[in-house]
Amino acid sequence: MRSYIIKRLIYSVIIAWGIMTITFILLRLGPTSPVDRYILNIAARGQDVESVRQAIEARYGLDKPLIEQYFTYMGNLLQGNWGWSFSTSQSVADLIASHWIYSFQLILLATIFAIILGVGLGMLAAVKQNTRIDYAASIFSFIGISIPGFWLGLMLIMVFGVYLGWFKTYYDTAYPVWSLENIRQLILPVLALSIGALAGYLRYTRSSMLDNLHKDFVTTARAKGLTEKAVIGKHVLRNAVLPLVTIIMFDLGSVVFGGAYLTEIVFGIPGLGQVSFNAIFANDYAVVVAVTLIGTFLVLFINLATDVIYTYLDPRIRYD
Amino acid sequence: MTTETVLEVKNLKTWFFTPRGTVKAVNGVDFVLRRGECLCLVGESGCGKSVTALSILRLFDSPPGKIVEGRVTYGGADLATCPIPYLRKIRGKDIAIIFQNAQSSLNPVFTIGDQIAEQIMVHERISRMEAMSRARMLIEEMNIPQPERALKMYPHQMSGGMKQRAMIAMGLSCNPAILIADEPTTSVDVTIRAQIIHILQELKTGRDMSIIFITHDLSLVKEIGDRAAVVYGGRVVEVAPVDDILKSPAHPYTVGLIACLPDISAKSRRLPSIPGNTPNPLDMPSGCPFHPRCPSVMDICRSVAPATVSITDVHAVSCHLFVNAGGRKRQ
Amino acid sequence: MTDVRPGRHDIPVTMNRRLLDYYWERLSKNQLSLFGLGFIVFLALVGIFGPIFAPDPQKTDFEIKNFPPLGCSIDESVYDIKTGDLTTTVIQGRPDHPLGTDSKGRDMLAMLISGARISLLVGLLATGIAIFLGTFIGVLSAYSGGWVDNAIMRFTDIMMTFPFFLLLVMIVFIFGPSLAIIVLVIGLTGWTGAARLIRSETLSIRTRDFVTASRALGASDGRIMFNHLIPNVSSLIIVMATLSIPGVIMAEAALSFIGLGDPMSTSWGTILNTGQHSLDTAWWVAVEPGIMLFLTVLSFNFFGDGLRDAFDPRAGI
Repeated sequence: MRSYIIKRLIYSVIIAWGIMTITFILLRLGPTSPVDRYILNIAARGQDVESVRQAIEARYGLDKPLIEQYFTYMGNLLQGNWGWSFSTSQSVADLIASHWIYSFQLILLATIFAIILGVGLGMLAAVKQNTRIDYAASIFSFIGISIPGFWLGLMLIMVFGVYLGWFKTYYDTAYPVWSLENIRQLILPVLALSIGALAGYLRYTRSSMLDNLHKDFVTTARAKGLTEKAVIGKHVLRNAVLPLVTIIMFDLGSVVFGGAYLTEIVFGIPGLGQVSFNAIFANDYAVVVAVTLIGTFLVLFINLATDVIYTYLDPRIRYD
Repeated sequence: MTTETVLEVKNLKTWFFTPRGTVKAVNGVDFVLRRGECLCLVGESGCGKSVTALSILRLFDSPPGKIVEGRVTYGGADLATCPIPYLRKIRGKDIAIIFQNAQSSLNPVFTIGDQIAEQIMVHERISRMEAMSRARMLIEEMNIPQPERALKMYPHQMSGGMKQRAMIAMGLSCNPAILIADEPTTSVDVTIRAQIIHILQELKTGRDMSIIFITHDLSLVKEIGDRAAVVYGGRVVEVAPVDDILKSPAHPYTVGLIACLPDISAKSRRLPSIPGNTPNPLDMPSGCPFHPRCPSVMDICRSVAPATVSITDVHAVSCHLFVNAGGRKRQ
Repeated sequence: MTDVRPGRHDIPVTMNRRLLDYYWERLSKNQLSLFGLGFIVFLALVGIFGPIFAPDPQKTDFEIKNFPPLGCSIDESVYDIKTGDLTTTVIQGRPDHPLGTDSKGRDMLAMLISGARISLLVGLLATGIAIFLGTFIGVLSAYSGGWVDNAIMRFTDIMMTFPFFLLLVMIVFIFGPSLAIIVLVIGLTGWTGAARLIRSETLSIRTRDFVTASRALGASDGRIMFNHLIPNVSSLIIVMATLSIPGVIMAEAALSFIGLGDPMSTSWGTILNTGQHSLDTAWWVAVEPGIMLFLTVLSFNFFGDGLRDAFDPRAGI
């Protein structure tokens, strides 16, 4: 067991190295270098382009051979020196530190909501298979995975913000992050962000429950005299959630992070997604790269955590 | 062994209503179970014996399945129609059932100790610690080595024989009056089979327990059974003490079954078999379900289901050959 | 006309036709997937032939800006600074712009048609690239085995760790927003799922009993791959491709929505981008492209789901 965790850790380190390397390659493959982008901004302010370029290149070692640049790059990343954001005049690290909490809150709330509703409805649909509830849940899940999250966000703003006036149409950062007023503001964004994931969890839970509802050990549980609630809530559920844990974690990276990016932009939430978005249009390279890397490392960490947690949950893997 | 009846099954019919048609899995089963005896339900796969067992406790999947007719009388109540909370009190406490495949019948994510203790705690108001120590005693009784360690094991960590014995321990945990064993030895090897049979025999004599033993293996019937009920096409076609059935089988199907037993001393090289196939429960033959394969088939067999008549006071058969021959009709 | 020659010469052709009929029969029992297929065909027709009949989507005409769709009306309030009057006129939809116009006077219907063409193009091309790459890498990895397989799988793991949309955004940012780049990028980053699935399917087929039986009968590796691997894998590929298209279309729409789309083209996402600022004055600009997106994705999901059920030999009757 312990050796498995260590092996996974080492593996994660390798993947992390791979991530950083591939990002470096992509950066250097681009038609315009980071310097060129910076120059675009400078030229607009009327400074002498060439001397600035030479100064930057000398400073950042961009005139050195590629390999040396690579090592400098890796060294910087590992030491926490993630560059300077010229569009906001602060270090990238500071910029991230002041904005990450908004993304974290949004994603956390959306995930909790999606899990509770998705798994709950999925269980209901499985137990009431082929009834109207089940069909309704099926249709709902198809709609949920097909609706574009960012468009849903726009529609929610339009209906509940513009026409009904129940919510403000912009995000007010005046409230403390964990206050009730702030969370109230997050109702619409959380809804828009979670629908896609929720629908997915509903489907997977339903199918996992159905897989287990007709297994032999369920008959045994009934034969022991347990109530239906205990049979389904304890015996079936405990088996059904095992594959769900992996799926939920996996979805986090592919669906939720991308969705959060868009949701922040639509609702004006100053999280890392919006930070990156602003940086794109300011040609602020370092920030865009930094946000992407953070997202990727988070996914890596979540994958590692999921693997470890899963081995604890499934006794068949724990004792092998 | 007294002649006191603990369980009576009368004209039980369990049908499954599926989109492809109505599966008449159990289609008129009658038998009684006496205290301290072992009644064997014998038949080929698909004849309805397992569904009969499940029907006693109404454990089959209920949207498609339904008991359409019949009575299951235990302790003065009809288990086929009684309210479910009452049935739950009987399940696992008065009547326990153990299944064929121990690996799939045990929950893979809970320990053996947990699963046994759980059953005890459902029916008795005792603490978890007490339940666990009772579970430990039961495991020890089943001759499972290192009982303390076994309590904390998960099903996949145990061998086939251990799992089967753990399941028996679980079934016995509340000291039931009736134990239904659905082919408990089919998926284990010969040495384990002997152990399990031994355990069951001890239960019969030691605890005065009644056993319904379901099997397709006639040699087991001889080893452990007191009486045998032969099941075919969802009906009991013959019931009698084991010796009687083996020595003088009445129903043509039983005759065929016994003839199929491989006999080392037999001269011929070909194994005898009953021609034809077991009936498709979606499309049961009319009249007597055995008539398409019966060597003594008569016209009436094709249209009328035979009543059950007694040949002797302990031997009954459901066949037109005997109905007309003046046997007394069973009520 | 039956061919009396012994051997399997004639089987591939007849078998395939009967097989296709069988699959079609199973598929057509699923009403939702038929609806999906119908809408996809409709969309394809619109995308291919629509631009021929429709007016130029890029043509701006500020005279007719912000007209609602046919049958709807909207109040437009104009505040005269000089006189201090607030005059409200009711603007009705016009039949020559049945779906309305946007803030620059461009015809909505024309833009939606153009968007359909782009979405389908991007969807098909990018998915094609992704599935082709994924299949190639998957089969290569499975057949190579050893350290090559290992290395390829590690690389796949690395690429899969990147959150798809974040990676997309970063690459489009680096390489510039043109339609070609977007198609390429989506294709070159979306192959990982296909590679994993194809590789595991290939590996499992190699060990399955019918392959061992074939070998026992003397079939060569090549013949095995042709007769057994490809038919079994092809249904998986078709289902994967159909179910990947919605994700691709959404990705392209999302990119266009935040402004990283091709500025020359009118994709549904771009329309949404302009529409998000006029939710109160011209709600249709935000609603219509979204509905199109939703229906398109829904149709591919319905159809893909139905395909998967039709191909699965174990599902249902």
